[in-house]
Amino acid sequence: MNFEAIIGLEIHVEMKTKTKMFSNGPIQFKSEPNTNITYLDLAYPGSLPRLNKQGVINAIRVCNALHMEIDHDLYFDRKNYFYSDLPKGYQITQQDRPIGKKGYLEIEVDGKKKKIGIERLHMEEDTAMQHHFSDYTLLDYNRAGIPLVEIVSYPEIRNGEEARKYVEKIKEIVTYLDVSDGKMENGSLRCDVNISIRPFGSEKFGTKVEVKNLNSTANIETAIDYEMMRQASMLIKGETIQQETRRFDETKKETVLMRVKTDAVDYKYFSEGNIPPVHLSDEFVENAIKTSNELYDEKLVRFENDYKLNTVDAKILLSSKELSLYYDEAAKNTDLYQPLANYIISEVLGYLNKNDLSITEFSVKPKDVADLVIILNEKKINSKQGKDIFAKMIETNKSPLVLKEEMGATIISDEGQIRADIQEIISQNPTLPDDFKNGKTRAQGFVMGLLMKKNKGKVDPILANKLIVEELNK
Amino acid sequence: MKEVNKDVLKDAASRLLFDMKDEEYETLLNEFDIITKQLKLMDEIKGLNDVTPMSFPYIDESFSLLRDDETLEEDLVNKEEMLNNAKVYKDGQVKLPKVVN
Repeated sequence: MNFEAIIGLEIHVEMKTKTKMFSNGPIQFKSEPNTNITYLDLAYPGSLPRLNKQGVINAIRVCNALHMEIDHDLYFDRKNYFYSDLPKGYQITQQDRPIGKKGYLEIEVDGKKKKIGIERLHMEEDTAMQHHFSDYTLLDYNRAGIPLVEIVSYPEIRNGEEARKYVEKIKEIVTYLDVSDGKMENGSLRCDVNISIRPFGSEKFGTKVEVKNLNSTANIETAIDYEMMRQASMLIKGETIQQETRRFDETKKETVLMRVKTDAVDYKYFSEGNIPPVHLSDEFVENAIKTSNELYDEKLVRFENDYKLNTVDAKILLSSKELSLYYDEAAKNTDLYQPLANYIISEVLGYLNKNDLSITEFSVKPKDVADLVIILNEKKINSKQGKDIFAKMIETNKSPLVLKEEMGATIISDEGQIRADIQEIISQNPTLPDDFKNGKTRAQGFVMGLLMKKNKGKVDPILANKLIVEELNK
Repeated sequence: MKEVNKDVLKDAASRLLFDMKDEEYETLLNEFDIITKQLKLMDEIKGLNDVTPMSFPYIDESFSLLRDDETLEEDLVNKEEMLNNAKVYKDGQVKLPKVVN
């Protein structure tokens, strides 16, 4: 029997703000435990929530990127549950009126575009970080209250690859917008998967299983594909799939039972009385969108249209937001857009890959790379000198123009001087013109070798080749 | 409206992690009886179902409820002060018995 999977994803994204969603507590990654906490984060009596404007702006930007309807009236609710990671006894969230609804994003599978619908996006707060040990748990409240948006997809994903691409797209959007660092490994982007399977053609949904603890996009794909196999094999054997929560075991590459869900948890949602509704004017929403960073897809079109780059090169430069910003910055200094792209892709990325560095760890300024490309393109230096100067730029952080002078890197392009040298070489080797005319093309290379030796490799090779051919044909 | 009987109260108490004596349930049931009768009086108001429920008297149009994204030093709680409220702490963190596997 053939089955199809019905997969929905819930993604929590930590927003990049200076302070928490409802308190003025600072947000600093890797701080000493319990040092970024306020009265509200700890639910001290009398403390009241106040909404972070930047958190709202960030949420609007994500909604816009996901083509969502944006609710201009903000309402908040309490999700009540009793657990130590939440001192208030409830999480402030948006249950009834999410800020965004009915959106979508596009992924590309097997060369075809597929739209994945997004049901809702709502703002809420993160909980305290729990560190579990063998028989006790430690609580760090630094994370309590960090702004989150939760993005809930419609169950329109059908396999692990689609899920991975969906999460990668969300990650790309939030990082390009600069509203989150989107790092799954640090927990700033977290994903829960709901998955059920049903026979092809069936309208009825199967029993839903939730998979947690997915800390990379690769794990999402592996976990879903494993879970699809597990559920299919159970159904074939006539077994019943339980409604349960499972986690992904990274070592075994399989999902493992955490708990069976006996009853839906009743969170007893009700309105958050301490945050009156806020109406966002059209101007406020439009301004949040207008001032947001360029998205990947928009940037790709700009790189292709404005810089006239081919799609392959543009996509390489957009493979990280930081690399694309580096190129943009370098391109402000020259209109040699394609040579600049070629140089960054081959030389700069080559160096970074070889040394396992990222572009943010690259000390050479974008303008200096642009200047190097300019003098290479103008043939003021040859490629060998360019490589030497590039190596020195990394070492010293000096500009290529300064290094060119310091290293005596010049190129001889005086036609008269080059021709005279060629004529001298030919006069010392008088059989060369006849050899050349008789098809011995090695003669041309022989002259070039001697010419370069005489001038210590500094002759413009293109001009020299042209003149050698002219002289040998005389 | 759902009938409030002893089973409903026992279930609610259990969810809230406590229990009561039988006579306390009886007292509570009597109180609910009075409340229910009072609420039923509202059924006599005509057109009640046509009224939109209101949870807030006004909606903020001025953005005064949106604060700037800045830390307020006076709102910060000192770590030691916070840990003094905990029964047990370790390595600057609140220590609790582990309740998950």
